[in-house]
Amino acid sequence: MGAEERMGIAVGLTVGLAVGLLFVALLFRKKVLDCTFDERQERARGVAFKYGFFTLMGSIFLYGASELAVGRWCDALTGGCLCLAAGILVFAVICILKDAYLSLLERPRRIMTLFVLLSLVNLGLGALMAAHGKLVEDGVLTFRAVNLVMGIMTLVILIVYIVNFLLRSRETEEE
Amino acid sequence: MKNLRLKAARAAMDLSQQQLADAVGVSRQTINAIEKGDYNPTIKLCVAICRTLGKTLDELFWE
Repeated sequence: MGAEERMGIAVGLTVGLAVGLLFVALLFRKKVLDCTFDERQERARGVAFKYGFFTLMGSIFLYGASELAVGRWCDALTGGCLCLAAGILVFAVICILKDAYLSLLERPRRIMTLFVLLSLVNLGLGALMAAHGKLVEDGVLTFRAVNLVMGIMTLVILIVYIVNFLLRSRETEEE
Repeated sequence: MKNLRLKAARAAMDLSQQQLADAVGVSRQTINAIEKGDYNPTIKLCVAICRTLGKTLDELFWE
């Protein structure tokens, strides 16, 4: 990969990140996303954050150790995203199981629609890269696998949310 | 330990868990957890629930 291509990728990532942040800010402005939690939820999220943080630390250690053991097997960016995804996944799953994932003002249907879209876009991009054989180059998982990693993460969160929602609705009906 | 007195007081006022939750500014799951004894609320939330249901702290939360 040439210096020009690397620069292009770096600019693309920066612009993508900026657009992503603007999109999230817009969602907060439109009240699709919100951070109003009650005291039980705050407590549960604190516990979930602790486990997410330790998962992140553990996965960073494992990533570093695996690279020492088997040599370079993925890009630093992809490795970082894998660790982030593991931490976020643990945080999200614990929050969902403790009914503390959505705030008091967030509407489940809106948020789940957002997750469906995020999963579809990321998995679609991941599949596109896989079809072009760009996910792995010279035995190394490239940064192009990041979309696939994020797509799988959002899909797992979505599945856990839906299963938990269905189980809880049944419990509520029984009460 | 289940808080049956809270459940009874809520039912006496013909309020659903969601209606009580909205009145005190928490989620339905939080009211459910308090009634089931899975969550120990802060004094602030206890007072808010008592005010909404027209009961004293002793009547609802003192063992």
